[in-house]
Amino acid sequence: MTGRHAAVRPAGTQPAGRPLTGIALTGTPLTGTLALLRHALRLDRWKLLPWLLVIGIFPTVSYSVYGSLFSSPLEAKALQLSLGTNPAFSLLFGPATDLGTAAGFTAWRVQMFGMFFAALMAVFTVTRHTRAAEESGRAELLDSGVVGRHARLASAVVLAWLASAAVTVLVGLALMMAGSEPAPAFALGSAFGGMGLAFAGVAAVTAQLGSTGRTANTLAATVLGVSYLLRGLGDTLDDSEWLLWTNPMGWAEKILPASENDFRPLLLLLAASLALALLAAWLESRRDFGMGLIAPRGGPARGRLGTWGLTARLNRGAFLTWAVVFVALGSVYGLVATTMSGIFSDNPFVKQMITFRLATEEQLLFAFVEVLLLVLAFIGGVFGIQVVLRFHTEEDEGRAEWMLSAPLSRLSYVVPTVVLAAVGPAVGMAAGSAALATSARLAGSELDTAKVVFQGLAEVPSLWLAAAVALFLVGLAPRARAGAWLVLVYWLLLTMFGPVLKAPEWLLGTSPFHVVPNVMESSPDWLPVAWTLLLAVGLLLAGLAGYRRRDLLSR
Amino acid sequence: MAAVVSITGLTKSFGHSMALDGLDLEVSEGEVHGFLGPNGAGKSTTLRILLGLLRADAGTVRVLDGDPWRDVVTLHRRIVYVPGDVSLWPGLSGGEAIDLLGRLRGGLDERRRAELLDTFELDPTVRGHAYSKGNRQKVAIVAALSSNAELLILDEPTSGLDPLMEATFRQEIRREKAQGRSVLLSSHILAEVESLADRISIIRRGKVVESGSLEQMRTHARTNVAATLSDGATRLSATPQLTAVPGVEGLRIDGSRVQFNVDAGGLAAAMNVLTGLGVSALTVTPPSLEDLFLRHYGERAGQGLPQ
Repeated sequence: MTGRHAAVRPAGTQPAGRPLTGIALTGTPLTGTLALLRHALRLDRWKLLPWLLVIGIFPTVSYSVYGSLFSSPLEAKALQLSLGTNPAFSLLFGPATDLGTAAGFTAWRVQMFGMFFAALMAVFTVTRHTRAAEESGRAELLDSGVVGRHARLASAVVLAWLASAAVTVLVGLALMMAGSEPAPAFALGSAFGGMGLAFAGVAAVTAQLGSTGRTANTLAATVLGVSYLLRGLGDTLDDSEWLLWTNPMGWAEKILPASENDFRPLLLLLAASLALALLAAWLESRRDFGMGLIAPRGGPARGRLGTWGLTARLNRGAFLTWAVVFVALGSVYGLVATTMSGIFSDNPFVKQMITFRLATEEQLLFAFVEVLLLVLAFIGGVFGIQVVLRFHTEEDEGRAEWMLSAPLSRLSYVVPTVVLAAVGPAVGMAAGSAALATSARLAGSELDTAKVVFQGLAEVPSLWLAAAVALFLVGLAPRARAGAWLVLVYWLLLTMFGPVLKAPEWLLGTSPFHVVPNVMESSPDWLPVAWTLLLAVGLLLAGLAGYRRRDLLSR
Repeated sequence: MAAVVSITGLTKSFGHSMALDGLDLEVSEGEVHGFLGPNGAGKSTTLRILLGLLRADAGTVRVLDGDPWRDVVTLHRRIVYVPGDVSLWPGLSGGEAIDLLGRLRGGLDERRRAELLDTFELDPTVRGHAYSKGNRQKVAIVAALSSNAELLILDEPTSGLDPLMEATFRQEIRREKAQGRSVLLSSHILAEVESLADRISIIRRGKVVESGSLEQMRTHARTNVAATLSDGATRLSATPQLTAVPGVEGLRIDGSRVQFNVDAGGLAAAMNVLTGLGVSALTVTPPSLEDLFLRHYGERAGQGLPQ
């Protein structure tokens, strides 16, 4: 508007001291941050809402059912004794410090998940508005306006901070409404929000390092994964509590919601976030628009890729990442499983708590392994869905159209993806469970390697079902494809927490992970697994038929 | 001449919006056929149906004597396509992308590939995410032209190319045509179509509103006549005499200057009138492609609608 008015105004009548370019000339590197933030908020309304709801409501669910779980405080105390000393649970969920109260139980149960998801929310938010926006060209349009050099970065970080603060307030208020004291409620919220703060800073830095949104997200997620592992080892291994101070997740855990309610680590997380954001700004001024600090290398002038090679190439990064995760987690879990044998002996709550279908006492150790394998299986499910959705990205970004203009049928185009989505997770499960059994044996456990691997492979049909759900959606309802993630998360939550929250058996049975039999049993029931397989094949065929028949989506 | 593409009564809708509404189109063997229309007129939808990427709702579509939806693989051995907005794999180099497409086609002409990289000044070692828009377009052009397909389907292939490269592109298309290949060239760049196309189809709101060679279209369109009359006294009689000529439109008389449009049938009679009145200067302009195009999109340019 200013520009147009100025243009029609006769020369000399322009108000003195307010040259047209004044805003840009006198502006700071942060000029325009607010405008960009408003724009980002409008864009992100619907993207952030599900995160806020899931992270905000989940603790309340756990809190509300606590009362119906234990018939007496003694029962809860017994549970805490067995779990507090149980390294597997310390590794997965953090230490159980106070299960005698609903708040303490909730804090232990949901802490890791909340911290993980809040961190991911912050990472995706920051990357979306910095690196991914630059990559897609959206940023160029806005940045050519009156916008300071660091305004885009600042608006993205502030948006992630706001979202983290919203998580803290939501968790706190929701828990208070369910009847919690304010201190533990907001302490738990702060553990989540604090992770969001810290990883907003991490993502701000990784967005400067990688030259694509994908690279930036992967780098930040790696930091999160390493934090989780360091924190887990700090909680589990002897004399290694110092490990908790080496990473943001350890700091957030040190808030100790419901037992200590110590808010000081929150300041540490906030300081880290600020420091990282400043580092990111410094890095940003040392690079050009669109470029990363990790310089992209050139590629070969010739190529020998076909559809199979292309599929392998597109999923190479994800496959290698997940392979490392499988083997690393498997090995760590194996170490932990060995220290477990003597702990639970005949505790009835363990049976109820950890897993299902226990027949005899000697299988208790194996039952623990089953829970650990379930975590590996969830990762396998993520990988399968990722492979299928990666295939759809090709269509989304207009490359499928180009590929399919060559003499290539839709079926031959999709088959490599189907094969990889079937083989990849199976290989991962085999490698992960083999690593688990091997490291357990090396540490002196009596675990039967073949049985462990067999149990791991028994989870594979469930992974296939997850991938088949994704393929079904891509084939028949591509706009709803993200629903595959919801299904997987539903299965995970149901299988992990359903038995603890005393969900009815028919409900538990809707998760294919729940119905996998224990291979140690004398006559394991494979019928549900057969149903899983059949359903997976059915969904696969329907998805393929749909993909062959439907219009290719155009941009 | 045989038709390589023949479409009659093609309709296609996406939800509630009608993209194609009874479209007819015919491309003859060996010709460059210009497919002209603004964004959103239905050009890309038509091409995607020809490639079997979208399924037609109604109408008949034949490409190289096959059904583009059913005979995808056999037809695509004889067709190449250049998308309007080429998206490359971020991690693959341009050369890898060209060879991937070539391999899917069962190999490409090595000599032609090298030659095209050279004429288009394209560096094949750059990764997909580092190419500019124009260079991404070149990758697809090189991939398409280094094959030996019979039919080239090009969807606004030069978007993002600089004028020099556009000239190179035209040269290459003429070369393809000289080898007997047929080209369906969708574009909204009138100069490109005017210089390349043997025949032109103009599409508007999912329908082809005019089709033919530029000469044929011109005979249907009005010629613009501007004259300066020599004798001031006879000027008064110019108005009734000219309006009496069938086919004369938009008559404007301004002093001694007369201006009007006339269709081919009325041109001779109008000339007679002008000669009778005494002419000192005369300009007769045949309609340009732009005039033809604007005739169909007239309301945009503020001119009268075609009747």
